[in-house]
Amino acid sequence: MSSSRDDFNIAFRSALLQRGAAQKFSLVFLIIVASIIFFLDIYGFGFMKPIRSIINDGIYRISLVASSPSRFIPQATGSVTNLFNIKSENEKLKKALEVYRQKELSVEYLTNQNKNLRKILESDETLFKENYVLSKVLIDKSSPYLKSIIINKGSKEGILKGMPVMDKDYLVGRIVEINYLSSRVLLLNDLNSRIPVTFGEDGVQAILKGSGGSRPVLEYLPEGYVVEEGVDVFTSGKDGIFFAGSPIGTTSEKGEIKLFSESSQLSFVKVDLSKQKKEAF
Amino acid sequence: MLNFKTISKIINLGPIILLYYLSVSEIDSHFENYFEILSFNIQLIIIYFWVSKRPEALGSGHIFFAGLINDVVAGFPLGISSLSYLVVSLVATYVKNMTVNTRITTDWFTFFIAIFFSNLTFFILLSKFSEIAVSVTEISYNTFFTLLFFPFFWFLFTYYNLIVTTGKNA
Repeated sequence: MSSSRDDFNIAFRSALLQRGAAQKFSLVFLIIVASIIFFLDIYGFGFMKPIRSIINDGIYRISLVASSPSRFIPQATGSVTNLFNIKSENEKLKKALEVYRQKELSVEYLTNQNKNLRKILESDETLFKENYVLSKVLIDKSSPYLKSIIINKGSKEGILKGMPVMDKDYLVGRIVEINYLSSRVLLLNDLNSRIPVTFGEDGVQAILKGSGGSRPVLEYLPEGYVVEEGVDVFTSGKDGIFFAGSPIGTTSEKGEIKLFSESSQLSFVKVDLSKQKKEAF
Repeated sequence: MLNFKTISKIINLGPIILLYYLSVSEIDSHFENYFEILSFNIQLIIIYFWVSKRPEALGSGHIFFAGLINDVVAGFPLGISSLSYLVVSLVATYVKNMTVNTRITTDWFTFFIAIFFSNLTFFILLSKFSEIAVSVTEISYNTFFTLLFFPFFWFLFTYYNLIVTTGKNA
């Protein structure tokens, strides 16, 4: 009994301290170094922020170059598939265009009506702000734990933590990490994402919570509320971070949201700088 | 032209190059578009296999740095992946010290112990010390599929190892 425990102790100590032919550091030394780095980063000591920012900017650029072959293959196969589907897609798009033309007229009418009503209310806040910075998506590594992307604009362009990020006019996430030349965007489907939203004719308020999967879910709905399928969901702006009325997605029966913007297909995104001076995140 | 010695050197560096490439590039083993829960961690398989079979092919320093790079790309606190990788390396070294001849079944079982402790370390550190929330279910699926795919990579790496060692002995 004591002999087997001795064997365990010897083998374990040897595994921790041993340095083989090509090993320059023992495992115990590296475990201690990794633990120190982890706690320095977690507790955010002042000197760690610029170091981390420089490391991030450097590695994101290397990652972009290293990932270029892996980007080329899906693009090439995608182009061939698109070529075959182009005719049927063209017919579908023609039909969709007709519907949108009709909708455009009613949107124009409603926008004018909205402007006039705001004039009556003497409100200076408009629905559509135009203060965006266009950014390229550098990395969109799909981690099973974190849903985020890296963009090529950072504090140099005036980006701040918490700013909303859009794909065309659709909300896709918010800034959670800023470096000098790059930033990390937390996507709406990440487990850590929470956005106040509104939907339906009654203007129902809820919180959109990332599920970790492809579809976020609605939480804090009114008691007994049954979610109907196909209702558009917008930001409510109640948090003071996002503007009200940014489209997000449509509801499904299970209370999940099918996002308008496919997070795995993002190439360029817009960061909304409108609240830069108003909010100190 | 590359001579035989250079080619042999590059082949020898295969595990290190693969580990660094998987850490730095956006290539991932998460196939949510095909099957939402399917994700596995090839890095853990590479580390376990090469540390237990031929530790001189994959130094602990490289494992440590690959972990740091992975943290930056994935957005985790620095050092957490390094710790998780080093735990796998520790179990692999321990198993190597304790056993003489291993088969795929014993490797498979000990690999389960390695990734269990590795993912446990990862989960505890992330949930107790950082503000990032991770789902236990996601980690469990990842552990399960990593374990499930281990034999496939075991055969692949064994074959590769055979090529490298045969080339060396020739």
